[in-house]
Amino acid sequence: MNARERVLAAINHQEPDGIPVDIGSTPSSGISAIAHYNLKHYIGRPDWPTQVYDVVQQIAQPGDEMLDRFGIDVIDIGRAFDDRPEDWYDITLPDGTPVQFPTWFKPSPQPDGAWDVFNENGVRVATMPLGATFFDQTCFPFIDGYPDSYADLPQIMPLIHWAGLTHSPWDHAGDADFWEQLRARALALRASSDRALMIVVGCNLFEWGTFLRRLDNFLVDIVTEPAQVERLLDALMEQHLKTLEKVCAAVGDVADVCRFGDDLGTDQGPFMSPKTYRQLFKPRHKILTDYVKQNSTMHTFLHSCGSIYKLLPDLIEAGFEIVNPVQTIARDMEPVRLKAEFGRDLTFWGGGADTRFTLNRGTPEAVKDDVRRNIEALSPGGGFVFNTVHNILPDVPPENFMAMFEAIDEYR
Amino acid sequence: MQEELLDAVFDAVMDGDIPGAPATVQAALDGGLDAETILRDGMIAAMTRVGELYECGDYYVAEMFTSAKALQAALVVLRPMLQQSQVQATGTVVIGTVKGDMHDIGKNLVTMMLEGAGYAVHDLGADVHPSRFVAAVEEVHPDLVALSALLTTTMPSMQATVDALTTAGLRERVKVMIGGAPVNEEYAEHIGADGYAQDASQAVALANALMQVKAQRSA
Repeated sequence: MNARERVLAAINHQEPDGIPVDIGSTPSSGISAIAHYNLKHYIGRPDWPTQVYDVVQQIAQPGDEMLDRFGIDVIDIGRAFDDRPEDWYDITLPDGTPVQFPTWFKPSPQPDGAWDVFNENGVRVATMPLGATFFDQTCFPFIDGYPDSYADLPQIMPLIHWAGLTHSPWDHAGDADFWEQLRARALALRASSDRALMIVVGCNLFEWGTFLRRLDNFLVDIVTEPAQVERLLDALMEQHLKTLEKVCAAVGDVADVCRFGDDLGTDQGPFMSPKTYRQLFKPRHKILTDYVKQNSTMHTFLHSCGSIYKLLPDLIEAGFEIVNPVQTIARDMEPVRLKAEFGRDLTFWGGGADTRFTLNRGTPEAVKDDVRRNIEALSPGGGFVFNTVHNILPDVPPENFMAMFEAIDEYR
Repeated sequence: MQEELLDAVFDAVMDGDIPGAPATVQAALDGGLDAETILRDGMIAAMTRVGELYECGDYYVAEMFTSAKALQAALVVLRPMLQQSQVQATGTVVIGTVKGDMHDIGKNLVTMMLEGAGYAVHDLGADVHPSRFVAAVEEVHPDLVALSALLTTTMPSMQATVDALTTAGLRERVKVMIGGAPVNEEYAEHIGADGYAQDASQAVALANALMQVKAQRSA
């Protein structure tokens, strides 16, 4: 099997010749710039560039040599953009790590050590306080209430740092020939690589509510103002369906997986009851996944952090085939339980290594034990792509990264 | 009659009726109920029930947040009356998100839940330097100090805060509780805190338990 066949077999619930592995195909299954820098020095490859392709979370795009060295089976179509040296510039992060930023991203250091980001109109859209390693949202356009009209929603959405400072390929979405370029570059990637291809579309619904209203307000809204919430969701759906239409036309026959996002869980359970999910979000998620299934050959992938066990039956019915990051330490999210109850219907893309306690703070032996335990629970019969639980953050020692791969290699 | 007025307060908080809650408190006061009874048997009772419903999985964070906001709205009416009648708080808490961390939504929910349990809470906000915790402890003499962090990269600020309290000679005067995604019981022990709570509902239970320990020690 080649890498792509391995990933597709797993998604089709067939046991591949070895477990497929993802590091870096999405901005929630990758490696932070600082961890990438530490790793490349540890393994004697200081020549690898550390290119921060997701500037909000400060995530590095793994280069071809890294993919080869660690046997990564899936890549992001976004990597086909920003592929010239002049697309990047050298910069030193506040902690002293030298990296490269895309040329369009120019944060402004502040007297207190924070790095702020202002848009072209001078609006402060994000900040990274001194000591932090990612950018927080600072602009909440609907914090004071819902607008009467959503006519200018497309102009408002880029005020949210996730949209305004987005990762490739979407940092090029404003280019006149973007959709032609997306297809051409995706086809070139398909021709030059035997890895599976991912396209990250987001199309978040609950999360867009939290971006626009702020989480605390939107949580109250879904309980007390469902009609206003539905109005907003319908306006968002209009934008999302326009995006999906173009994505399916451009790469629907090239990409293997279409990655949606919507963080629905906290550590202790979903933000909302299954009833609320069914009422407000499920029908709309279903429209999005139906569109992809009817207009492309891509598989549907949902990224949702937290404990979503109670929502999984509904998420399956909403049309998601794959879930990520499988936050195994959250309540009800034990790998054995998930596999037993939902393994026939879902592919678990993640859950391979705990990043909150073990990969970052455990011994290499503890990391290996965690990885083996998770693989043995999740991989039988396919339906599993190895990935850490969310991104590998700056506090992960390279020794533990290597230990993780030593354990992975026992299963491929 | 009075029971109905109290039930209306209870229901408004339980159901998360943010616009309606203040009027139920006003009606209860107008109906001759004293502030302490409204607080204890109306609002605290409702938030206790909300906590129970959350624990057993009938309520979710969204519902808990909505009830907490209704409680806040009701407290705007009740707070002056409580001060006037010098009602004793369950305890006094200084709370904040530690230095370097701007994330305050979890901390805000804990604040509201503690207020819902009758605590007087001094919220220092987010990105709070250890010296500001020290100053607040010196100023308001709290029973408890509650520290929040969302990030693995900022949790060391919890240690720095506990150490600052020790250096200032204040550590023995307060109980320190911590919460937030990257921390756990083990970490609480490691940095010399007195307890860890995994969510806002558990934070109230922990605060109550720590208050008991404190009371026993001073008895």
